[in-house]
Amino acid sequence: MASSLKALLVEDTAVDRMVLSFMLRKFHCEVILAKNGKEDVDMFLEGNKFDIVVCDKDMPIMTGPEAIKKIRAMGATDVKIVGVSADDNAMEAFMSAGADDFVPKPMRLEVLGPMIQEVINMKNN
Amino acid sequence: MAAAALRAQLNALLANMFTTGMVDEQFQQLQSLQEDGGSASGFVAEVATLFIDDADRIIADIAALLDQPVVDFDKVDAHVHQLKGSSSSVGAQKVKLACMHFRQFYEAKSKEGCLMALALVRSEFCDVRNKFQTMMQLEQ
Repeated sequence: MASSLKALLVEDTAVDRMVLSFMLRKFHCEVILAKNGKEDVDMFLEGNKFDIVVCDKDMPIMTGPEAIKKIRAMGATDVKIVGVSADDNAMEAFMSAGADDFVPKPMRLEVLGPMIQEVINMKNN
Repeated sequence: MAAAALRAQLNALLANMFTTGMVDEQFQQLQSLQEDGGSASGFVAEVATLFIDDADRIIADIAALLDQPVVDFDKVDAHVHQLKGSSSSVGAQKVKLACMHFRQFYEAKSKEGCLMALALVRSEFCDVRNKFQTMMQLEQ
């Protein structure tokens, strides 16, 4: 699957940043990294545009759901936002914040692939 | 011949890690990511090294928190949660399960329970760390 998607990966844990960014690059995404929710929001405030955001929940300074609320409030309603967390109860926090999907960690390629394809399809239509 | 013997040793080590439940299908996914990507050799070793360094630090931080006269159980929670996440992402199943077992003790605010749970986490981590390090030596 070829894509020229721009992905923002928001993750404070180095291991997860490495694994998730490798997976996204597997689908030919350009991957930009943020280490917490505040860096996530700052990316959007600086005028950056992304096709997909993959965002952890519990991070220092600002959590994933807090960042997602701010991003959606800024008008970034088109970007697909996927929440990921090892917390089994994280789905509600993400979805009520405005995420499009929630995936429990660990992320699997067979789960990420269709999400990427969905974004490609929407971008092409 | 030596290379074949080392390969056989590596395969036996990996098989053992799976059959004992030390690693799960997530580790298998990392291996297949490495095999599929042409320039990805060393990816598993890099992730394993990062996990070892991270987990070492987190376990030390938890021990320090539990050593305080008044334990901040919220911080213990945050650290254990982080370790659960990274162990799950690397496929270190027994460490992940030990972290899940830990939860009941910091939720109950039991220092003694947390110390026992930390001992289990540390033990499982040491086991998988040793196996990962042997794996990386054999791969070299």
